Amino acid sequence: MTTPLIRGRGLGRIYGALTALADADFEVMPGEVRGLVGSNGAGKSTLVKILTGAVEPTSGTVEIMGEPVKLGDPSEMIRRGVACIYQHSNLAPAMSVMDNVFLGRQPVGRFGRIDKKKLEADTRALMAKHGMAIDPLATVGNLPTVKQKEVEILKALALEARVLLMDEPTGWLSAADVARLHQTIRTLRASGVAIVYISHMLDEIFSVCDTVTVMRDGRVIAECGIAEVRRARLVELMVGEKLARDSAAAASVARRPGGTGEIRLAVRDLSKKGVFRDISFDLHAGEILCLTGLIGSKRTELMRVIFGADRADGGSMTVAGQTVDFHSPGAAMAAGIGFVPEDRHRDGLMLGLSMTDNLIMSTIPQVCRSIFLDRSRVAATAKRLVADLAIQPPDVNKPARLFSGGNQQKILVGKWLNLGPKILILDEPTVGVDVGAKAEIYGILRAQRDAGAAILVVSSDLEEVTTVADRIAVMVSGRMVGIHDADAIDRSRLIEEIGGVA
Amino acid sequence: MIASVPALGRRLAPHALPLAMLVIIIAFAVSEPAFLKPDNLIGIVRQVAITGIMAVGMTFVIMTGGIDLSVGPVLALSGVIALFSLDAGVPLPLSIVAGLSVGLVVGLLNGFIVARLELPPIIVTLAMLSMVRGSALLIGGPDLHPIRGHEAYAAIGSGDFLGLPISVHLFAAVTVLMVLVQKLTPLGLLVAAIGENERAARLSGHRTRLTKMALYAICGVGAAIAGIVQSSQVHTASAVYGEFGTELDVIASVVLGGTSLMGGNGSIARTILGVMFLGIINNGMNILNVPIDIQLIAKGVIIAVSLALSEWRA
Amino acid sequence: MTARSAAFALLAFFVATFIFFCVAAPRFATASNMENLMSGFSFVAILAIGQSFPILLRGIDLSVGAIVALAGMIVFDLELIFHLPGWLILPIALVAATLAGALNGWLVVKLKLQPFIATLATLAAYRGLVYSISGRQLVPGLSTTPIRDPWITGLETYFDFGSLLGISDWVTLPWVPLSFFIMLVVLAAFHFLLGSTRFGRSLYTVGGNPEAARLAGIDTARVTLAGYAVSGFCAGLAAILLVARLTTATEALGTGMEMSAIAAAVIGGVSLSGGIGSVVGPVIGAFLLGTILIGLTLLGISQYVQQILTGAILVAAVGYDRILDLRRRRRLVANLAEETHA
Repeated sequence: MTTPLIRGRGLGRIYGALTALADADFEVMPGEVRGLVGSNGAGKSTLVKILTGAVEPTSGTVEIMGEPVKLGDPSEMIRRGVACIYQHSNLAPAMSVMDNVFLGRQPVGRFGRIDKKKLEADTRALMAKHGMAIDPLATVGNLPTVKQKEVEILKALALEARVLLMDEPTGWLSAADVARLHQTIRTLRASGVAIVYISHMLDEIFSVCDTVTVMRDGRVIAECGIAEVRRARLVELMVGEKLARDSAAAASVARRPGGTGEIRLAVRDLSKKGVFRDISFDLHAGEILCLTGLIGSKRTELMRVIFGADRADGGSMTVAGQTVDFHSPGAAMAAGIGFVPEDRHRDGLMLGLSMTDNLIMSTIPQVCRSIFLDRSRVAATAKRLVADLAIQPPDVNKPARLFSGGNQQKILVGKWLNLGPKILILDEPTVGVDVGAKAEIYGILRAQRDAGAAILVVSSDLEEVTTVADRIAVMVSGRMVGIHDADAIDRSRLIEEIGGVA
Repeated sequence: MIASVPALGRRLAPHALPLAMLVIIIAFAVSEPAFLKPDNLIGIVRQVAITGIMAVGMTFVIMTGGIDLSVGPVLALSGVIALFSLDAGVPLPLSIVAGLSVGLVVGLLNGFIVARLELPPIIVTLAMLSMVRGSALLIGGPDLHPIRGHEAYAAIGSGDFLGLPISVHLFAAVTVLMVLVQKLTPLGLLVAAIGENERAARLSGHRTRLTKMALYAICGVGAAIAGIVQSSQVHTASAVYGEFGTELDVIASVVLGGTSLMGGNGSIARTILGVMFLGIINNGMNILNVPIDIQLIAKGVIIAVSLALSEWRA
Repeated sequence: MTARSAAFALLAFFVATFIFFCVAAPRFATASNMENLMSGFSFVAILAIGQSFPILLRGIDLSVGAIVALAGMIVFDLELIFHLPGWLILPIALVAATLAGALNGWLVVKLKLQPFIATLATLAAYRGLVYSISGRQLVPGLSTTPIRDPWITGLETYFDFGSLLGISDWVTLPWVPLSFFIMLVVLAAFHFLLGSTRFGRSLYTVGGNPEAARLAGIDTARVTLAGYAVSGFCAGLAAILLVARLTTATEALGTGMEMSAIAAAVIGGVSLSGGIGSVVGPVIGAFLLGTILIGLTLLGISQYVQQILTGAILVAAVGYDRILDLRRRRRLVANLAEETHA
């Protein structure tokens, strides 16, 4: 048996009180594509970061081709032929494609002068070899996202990587581009490269991987060939068996398309130049409307306009029959609209402030007496919300940073529940949330719906859309292309519509 | 149980400033017993009142991730304007209002450019430093203007009330007011929220830009109050007061008090600790006859070390 | 492409301003005034070139004025107290200034201080150090002794190209100061360094996307340290030129110069958001600043008003930088579609 190209033993990483990774063994053979799956917080990212040298483990060793290596040093790992394609861009946007591809390793001539001709020729040769075509002189920041992803792959290929780590590499790509990427992966596999492929998309794992490693709670809990495992079993392994049953049960709750029939929000011909146009739809009290579409279909932008965070160029909105024109989020809130943004760390939480402060953040006037904060009202509000939402641990003074993704998301939802919202907008409410918390959040949304709130959920996750929606609206490239009762459309037609197939 | 050295360090780090103060006080007291005399201690507070008032005003600005480098010239201009108003026969309260309005206007302008136009506060307030200094010199010239015949005005800086200098009362009043604002009003919470995550604060329905403008205005007014105290204390007003380095003392006090320059965490009460720390060091070094150049260097080193410590703590 | 058009726009604005003062200010378009402009702002241009490096790294160097004073005082002391030869003094002063800059870099890299607070602290410390080592205070009577070493005073030389070309009978060409040529050499060297070497490309990456640089195996700490050292080196060079011109150094030398340097760099298109800009722009920016200030002086406007105007120009420059930045970001958003990770 050949030696593994890369092998980690007993890897562990502790952050303060949090164990992100515990005693993980991990190895990949030459010419193997190994899938790495697990819910968020399972320790996948930490493992990958250790293998790229971005993070130094608190325990354990890594061997490459049987030789132990120094850990926590990215340049050492690069030298040994470990390259990584990250979820988020790691390009220098102001520089050319060729400078990015050979970053820090450009060929130099006399006086340390970069040999630009050779650099360009090398870049072209590399692209020819892997069937890509991008102008080496183009500035990366001006390229479309798909091309930027290709530049990242080129960058890894330029290192003649023997181990290629791919962390959610398809997040920005269309189906055709994903297929192309998988083709590239198969070519690389044939040439003996070891590939680690991390994805939440189980379809992709089954399509491209030879073997799969499952992680949960910072531990490696299973390893097997992809042919030996069924999809449902894989999900069970990832989330634990009870949670898998719960989420299946939660899916079978009665739908209420049209809600109470009262039109809570009416949007007519709403347009924003170069972003979206002629958006019209109704949102009823007592229903959940899911707005889905591909990344780039401008759903978030539409939500921001409805919430008053950005301005529209044309069209009109009415809330409960009143014509409105919000110039700020504050104005939208006054009309009873709440908004849970997609990126909870960037746009949602004050991570360093306590859970209490976060919970009252949108309703400060409610907890004031004259111009002063009323401590007892603040504490009572926080206590009530924590109980209602079953936030764990119920420690109201703990900084928001220290809660898990699911509980952070509950804090954000809770902040708006305190407003008693007539309309609640949630943008990708369960990204990075584990299956258990997901089911709880769906439960909260249904409870709000049943209490008469109008709920608008933006989601790219079809599983989520078909689980939670009473009605489904689809956006393609800034236009609303269809609104359906959730029971009246099947999955394949929905996928066609999202993809823009007429 | 034997605690490891890093663990001990982490436990002591939040109390590093009071501990360091204690050590320094003991050191000064041993080498120069006069240090502990009540007169000297009151003297220290009186000396730091001017920096202290400015530091209290700037704490909120720094908590929102901002900075105000223009406080020095604002101090100068407000003193000059107040004195010129008095000389022109304007009644005392109105003259003080005129002086304070300098700080208000400059602060609002800083706040408008930083919050509304979203330009970087370091550069904006550095430019404002130059503009306000130029304006002060244009109005007052480079000369010292002695204050004559305005007894009530001079009393602000040099008078006593209940056995304590009036400037100390003023310092205490400003501090108490701002501590109450921070602890008891929504503004205090909002400042922390903006410092933590400005985008989220806006999406929570808060008027973040207006708030930031108000904070810069508070900072400007603080500098103007300091200007009036200073000019009345030394019985002169001049456009060259608040020379380069004034803002450094103020920022150092705030930062020593544990407010992060990245915004977020911060406390007015702890700013006062920072003010007193610097004041004691200055006073001690003066008593021990440390030359001014060493004092400058020492100050730079203290700031660097304390910042590095707070980084290490995080 | 866009960077180049921005540079042309700046050049066009410079030419327009220049022509405006030629017409509006009576003694502006004279040979002697051009000499003033070149000798009076070549060192500002050098400081601006140096300042570009920290700004390209998303930082700033507020201590350059104090480093100017420090290097100037070192020259003063070595010349008038220790009587070292000029050819030895100059490299010592340059090394000292470079080390002072490197210390800034060290504070930023090792102690992870924010650049502006680190350099604000060293501003105070270096200025204090200047007072400590000031030969004016240590040795009474030295303050009125001029520096006469030909190695140093020789830097204040002017070249009469008019006579050289034999056309001085027809036109009065300005005599070009040596400092102007030194500035051009510095410009060429650092332009090459930034544009055509691995170090330069790495520096842009560290400023534009530090995480990408780190993961590409670039030693970001070393690049950052070197960037601040360059700023110190340029401050040292500017100090030498200033001392050569004044034939002495004072404790207050260079006060407020960080503002001109930052203004010139930002006017010259070096973006405060890091990773964008060149060193050609800052040089044009410095002479644009010079043209405006000298032009206004000739129009009889008080120096206090000029102080106000310098501040206003700085705000206008960062405002313009901000507009460009927003435009870039909007393009990026259009590309990245729904989410931005700018």
